[in-house]
Amino acid sequence: MLLLKYLPAKGGKMKRDCPDYLIIGGSAAGMAAAQAIKEKDPKGIVTVLSEEPDRPYFRPLIPYVLMGRKKAESIELLGNGPYTSAGIEVRTVARVDQVDISGKSVNIKGNGRLSYGKLLFATGSRPNIPSGIEGIDANGVFALRKLSDARAMAQRAESTEHAVMLGGGLLNLKAAFALLELGIKVTLVVYSPEVLSQLMEPADAGLIRNALDKAELKIITGCSAKGIISDKNGVTGVFLDDGSEMSCQMVCIGKGTRPNIEFLSGSEIAIDKGIVVDKYTACNKPDIFAAGDVAVTFEPVTGDRIMTGLWTNAVEMGRCAGYNITGTKTAYSGTFGIMNATQVADEPFVSMGIVHTKDTAYEVHVSAAKSTYRKVVFSPDGERLVGVLFIGDITGAGMYRYVIRGNMQIGRIKSHIMNHTLHYGHFLKG
Amino acid sequence: MSAEKAWDSDTVCRHQGRWIIAQLNIKEYAMYEPKEIFVNTSRCTACKTCEISCAVAHSRSGDLYGALSEKPAPKRRLYVEWVSPDENVPILCRHCEDAPCMHACISGAISRNKESVVITDSDKCIGCWTCVMVCPYGVIGRHLETHKSYRCDRCPDRETPACVSSCPTKALVYRTVETFSKDVRRDAASKILAGEGG
Repeated sequence: MLLLKYLPAKGGKMKRDCPDYLIIGGSAAGMAAAQAIKEKDPKGIVTVLSEEPDRPYFRPLIPYVLMGRKKAESIELLGNGPYTSAGIEVRTVARVDQVDISGKSVNIKGNGRLSYGKLLFATGSRPNIPSGIEGIDANGVFALRKLSDARAMAQRAESTEHAVMLGGGLLNLKAAFALLELGIKVTLVVYSPEVLSQLMEPADAGLIRNALDKAELKIITGCSAKGIISDKNGVTGVFLDDGSEMSCQMVCIGKGTRPNIEFLSGSEIAIDKGIVVDKYTACNKPDIFAAGDVAVTFEPVTGDRIMTGLWTNAVEMGRCAGYNITGTKTAYSGTFGIMNATQVADEPFVSMGIVHTKDTAYEVHVSAAKSTYRKVVFSPDGERLVGVLFIGDITGAGMYRYVIRGNMQIGRIKSHIMNHTLHYGHFLKG
Repeated sequence: MSAEKAWDSDTVCRHQGRWIIAQLNIKEYAMYEPKEIFVNTSRCTACKTCEISCAVAHSRSGDLYGALSEKPAPKRRLYVEWVSPDENVPILCRHCEDAPCMHACISGAISRNKESVVITDSDKCIGCWTCVMVCPYGVIGRHLETHKSYRCDRCPDRETPACVSSCPTKALVYRTVETFSKDVRRDAASKILAGEGG
């Protein structure tokens, strides 16, 4: 009899079985949305489903876990930075494999159905594993994406002398540096003529390349892997399309990402590579939203539909979706297809907007010195800033982002942009 | 909904862009409005005393002579800039309401404390410079020796930030928005009155 009072009232549903807001995906976009929802609707029940066994964490920090500079516990997301809201329920090892849109519920693999009030897709992306490489399933082949990958790589690293990285993007470079720090010899195999080809043109990459060479990272460009050789202990080598062969004990793949949309196959949610949303981050069905790597967004300068895989973008879009899902209409301002800041081998750089200018009509100004490189890209009429690449000295980069994103008429500040003398006073008093 | 219902016990909530601290008994809750640093550019002579006192306040020794010999050299966190033909503009962190740096940070190093000041935890900072990439004011510095970013912390151990208390021309003031706008209105009114009188 006593127990009866803990049961839900007849005909009623226990509230936790039907969260007001259900978020699929517990990384940048999902958790930023959860935080934003709590800011707007503190009493709303928010449940986040994450397929990973680990509680939400700052994914960009996993190279630090690999190199042993940070512990897995210290990169946890909740309780750090802006993620302070209490009352966000996070369920781990909860993979959604089906969504019933008319019945407003999702199916959690091996764990039954869960109803929802409103739904957010923030399922993110996963590494793109190229299909044309033989033997890619071998033990010792990794793509550094999850905390579990970092742990497995760290373990394999103990018996690794030489690692081969396939792909010259930023994520693979970060993984490469983590392995270098562990005392492992690392070779980067890049299909493009130069590293970081998404973020800069080969002609712009000189300083970065020097820094990588100095760090003793071996780089092979214009080449790709044909196959991976292994024995019972895993990877023993890689053979390349130029006929050469290298022995190694680890392979790491960094060939871009793919959105996680498979769980929506056969549903009525509009898909175009990723999940299609309007400028209020809403899907084509009521009460359903999407944000982050899985969502298709647009570039503010060109208006092109794009998908990005950047933590910072996912947070921004996730926050926006969080506001929209609570009914606070907030337009998403889009993001640059290219935007990143980091430091590789002691060389800081920022790349944003349009930076690939070969054979285009853009007005381009380059200034190169011994330790700094600056490329500023203006629209063909010279009246708007559309992109910047700073290497070495990235002071005040955020102001340039502000100018590009706002599609501002630059007028008198143009010379300051070109000479790197821009400061906020120019916007106030210019 | 009555105030009693909305704020029960020991809650700290953001309300209409302001921090409200409600403690135990709602009737005792105090409206906590944080102070801001306001800049009156017309009073700034670009003497840069604020920059120096900022760097000294963030040095290990805490005094000018000690600060001069410290390695790495202590850094200023505000910047007096010049706009042609004759405007001096001290530029400093606004501790933005929806701080882009805090949300963009990929390591959870940037948060807002209960005084509403946006702070960078340098232990957590990994020097990725994402905050530098998104700050529209350009006021986040890069400490090259320690490989950490740094920014205005509003001098947590002082009643008034060092830049404000050292400013000889009162170009920088530390007030709540309310009192500052009251002062501006009074100032404008007295100017109008003076104009009429003259």
